Amino acid sequence: MPLTLYVPAPTALHRLHPVTKLAGLAAFIVAAFVVDRPLVLLPLSAAVAALLVSAGGLPNVRRLRLMFVLVFVFTLVVWTFFYGTVLVPTRAGFFYGLSTAMRLDTFLAAGILFLTITRIEEIAYALGRLGVPYTVGFMLTLAFRLVPVFFDAALAVLQAQRCRGLDVTRGGLLRRLRRYVPVIVPVLIGALRRADRMAMALELRGFNSGRPRTTWMRARAGGRDAVAGVLVGATAVVYVVLWASGTGRLAPLP
Amino acid sequence: MNGAAISVRGLSCTYPGAARPALADLDLELPHGALAVVMGASGAGKSTLARCLTRLVPCFTPADVTGDVRLVGASVANRHVGELAGTIGMVFQDFEAQLFSTDVTQEVVFGLEHTGVPPAEMPGRVARALAAVGLAGFEQRDPTTLSGGEKQRLAIAGLLALRPPIMVLDEPTTDLDPVGRAEVLRTLAALRGEGLTLVVIEHDVAAAVAADRVVFLREGRVIADGPAATLLGDAETCAAAGVRPPDVTRVFAALGLVDPPLELEAAAARLRAAGVVPRPPRFLPRGARVSAPLIALHGVGHRYPNGHEALVDVDLELRKGEFVALVGRNGSGKTTLAKHLNGLLQPTAGQVVLRGSRMAGRPLEEIAEDVGYVFQDPDHQLFASSVEDEVAFGPRNLGLAPAAVEARVAEALDAVGLHERAADPFVLDKGVRQRLAVAAVLALGPDVLVLDEPTTGLDYPEQRAMMELLRRLHADGHTIVVITHTPWVIAEYAQRVVLLADGRVRYDGTPRPFFEDDALLAAAAFRAPEATRLGRLLGCTPLSVEELVAWVPQRTSACP
Repeated sequence: MPLTLYVPAPTALHRLHPVTKLAGLAAFIVAAFVVDRPLVLLPLSAAVAALLVSAGGLPNVRRLRLMFVLVFVFTLVVWTFFYGTVLVPTRAGFFYGLSTAMRLDTFLAAGILFLTITRIEEIAYALGRLGVPYTVGFMLTLAFRLVPVFFDAALAVLQAQRCRGLDVTRGGLLRRLRRYVPVIVPVLIGALRRADRMAMALELRGFNSGRPRTTWMRARAGGRDAVAGVLVGATAVVYVVLWASGTGRLAPLP
Repeated sequence: MNGAAISVRGLSCTYPGAARPALADLDLELPHGALAVVMGASGAGKSTLARCLTRLVPCFTPADVTGDVRLVGASVANRHVGELAGTIGMVFQDFEAQLFSTDVTQEVVFGLEHTGVPPAEMPGRVARALAAVGLAGFEQRDPTTLSGGEKQRLAIAGLLALRPPIMVLDEPTTDLDPVGRAEVLRTLAALRGEGLTLVVIEHDVAAAVAADRVVFLREGRVIADGPAATLLGDAETCAAAGVRPPDVTRVFAALGLVDPPLELEAAAARLRAAGVVPRPPRFLPRGARVSAPLIALHGVGHRYPNGHEALVDVDLELRKGEFVALVGRNGSGKTTLAKHLNGLLQPTAGQVVLRGSRMAGRPLEEIAEDVGYVFQDPDHQLFASSVEDEVAFGPRNLGLAPAAVEARVAEALDAVGLHERAADPFVLDKGVRQRLAVAAVLALGPDVLVLDEPTTGLDYPEQRAMMELLRRLHADGHTIVVITHTPWVIAEYAQRVVLLADGRVRYDGTPRPFFEDDALLAAAAFRAPEATRLGRLLGCTPLSVEELVAWVPQRTSACP
C-alpha cells in the first residue's frame, strides 16, 4: 500500500515551481486561519476542493475520508455543546463549531493538495530556495520517506507477536498500552538499526564529502507561476482584509 | 596503472569492549580490475574489513584501528568516509536503507549533488550508471515499486555514478530471490568488464566460482587466499573457514579424486574418465505418505485491497508429519499462502480448514497453539531482556500457570539447544537469535511449524544447525513447512515441494521429479543443487552429495 500522497500526473498544478506550491499552501492556511464566518470560508474551501480534484487528488481524499468526516463531526459537536457552556447546545456554538470544522478540513485539504502535486525532493528544493539549510530540508524529506518503511515494519512486528498469542484488544487502556511493549521494542530497535545503516549509506554517497553541493533539479518559474502567485497572494490579502474589517469574523462571546 | 588497487598491511581492529580483535594483523593486496570474494563464518571479520576499507570503521563505528590501508596508492588514514566517495563505493545487504529518493534518476543524482559534480555533467553520468546495472528505461520509476534485485542494482548505480575505481559489496544478494541474485551477479560481471576492482562478501559459493581471488577469513585473519579453484576445491580448507564447499569438491574428495574442476561439465567429464558410474537403486525411497490432513485449503484465493491477486484457486492438503518446502520467486504468493495457514490472512475466496473445522473467525492466538509461524527476521519478534522471558511470552499469553510456563520454556529451549537462559537476546549471533525465535514459537505447543526463509542471512554452519533442528522437530512429530530459495535445503530436507507461480500451485510432489523437470525449473528461475545437476550429467538424480557418492559402486583399489 503506498503511503505517500504524491500522484504523478501532468497537470498544470504539478508543473508549478516548488516555491509557488509552498507559497500557495501557506496562503491557503493563512486565509483559512484568519476568518471564522462559515459563509466567508465557503468559497475558500470550495476553491481548495476544486484544485484538489483538478490535480487528481480524489483518490487521496477517498483514502483519508474518515479523517475528514471525524474531524468535521467531532469539532462541530464539541463546540456546539461547549461554546462558553457545559453540555448546553447554543446557536453561537453551532456556528463557531461549523467554522472551525470547515477551517480544519480546509487545512487538511490544502495539505493533501500540496502533497498530491509535490514530490518530496521538490519540498526540499523549495525550502533550500527559501534559505533553509540543506540538511534541515533533507532530514524533513527523509522523515516523509521513512513513514511507510516504519509502518511496514510495525505491521510485521504486530503480526509476529500476534502469532505468539499477543492480544492487544483486551483490557483497559493502560493494560492495552502495556501489551504494546512487545511491539514497540522491536520496532524501535529495528528503526535504530536501519537509521544506522542509512546514515552509513548517506556518508558513502558523499553526504559529507566536504565539497560544495550542486543541485540537479532546475525548476524554472514561468508565467504560470506568476498567475498562480498573484491568485493565491490575492486570496490571502482578501481574507486578511475580511478579518481586519470584521466581516469575516463571528460575533465574539458576550 | 601500476601498484595495487587495494593494499592492506598489518590491519588490526578491536571494537570497544570486545574480548578479541575483529581483525588481527591482516594483510591483503588486490590488483586493479580484480574480482575478489571474501568468505568466512559470521564473526570472521568480513564486514569489519569492508568497513575499514571505506573508513566507516573507525569514522562511524568507533574502534581501535591500526595498520596501513591504501586505496589506489593513497593512504586512507585520517580521511573521512565522505571524502572517499569517488574512490571507493560500498553496497549493503539491506537495500532499503540505501535508497532515499522518489524516483530512479533522483536516486542516482543524489551522490553527484553531494560531491559537487556540475549539473551539466549529471545526465551523462546517470545514463551510464543506469546502463551499467541494466536499469536503463527505469529513470522515472518510483524506487519503492522496484523488485529487490532492481533496488540493489539501483543502489549500485547510485555509487557507480561517482565513478569509484573500487567497489565493496557486503552480502549484496543475501536478501534476494534466485532471479534477483542472478541479476546482481550479472551486474558484477558487467562492472568487472568496465575495469572496476570488486570486493564481494558472500556466503554463496556460486558467486565465488567466477572470482579471480577468493579470501577465507577466520577470527580476523586470512587463513587462505588464492584462485577460486584452489580454495573451493579443497573441502578441508572450506570447512575450516565455515564455508560450504561446492558439491563437486565434496564428491571428488569422497571418491578420492584430486583437483576438482568447479565447472560442472568438466567435473562430469573427469568423473566419467575416472570410470565413475553411479548406479542408483531401482526403487528409491519415497517420502512416507501418511495420516489425515491437518490443514486443508479449498479453492483459496486472495486478493489484496489494491486489487493484486496474490493467490488463485489454491487446493492444498497438509498432512500430519509432512516436511514441505514452499518455493517460488518473490511475489509468487508463498508468504501470502503461508499466512493463510495460521489465520494471519483470510482467504477472499474459498476456505481454509484446520483439523476439520473452518479457520475463518477463529482468534489468532487460539490458532497459534496449533500452527506456529516463525517470521523471516527474528528481530521482528524479539523484545524481552532475557532468553527465558522471550520464550515464556507465548505460554504466558495463553494464561498458563507459572509451573506450566516453566515446563514449556525448558522444553522449547531444550529442543533448539539453547542453554544461556539469562542471556540478552540482542547480543546473540543471528543464527542463535533465529533458533530463539523458533523456541519462542515452539513454546506455544504447535503441531505445525511454518518458517519463512529460516536460513536467510545465516552462515553455513548456522544454516546447517537450523535445518538439523527442523529435522529433529520433524522426527519428534512436528509438521514442518518452510519457505525457502535454497536448493540444497529443499533437496536434503523436504519430502514434498510445493511450487507457486503467479499465485497458482505449479508443482506439488516429491523433490526428485521436481529437480528432474527442466522446463518447470526454468519457469520458476530455480536451479537444482549442484550435486543433483552433476548426477544428472552422469545419468541419475541424486538429492545430495552423500546419495551420489553412495550410488557409486566401490571400485577395486587402484593398481599399484
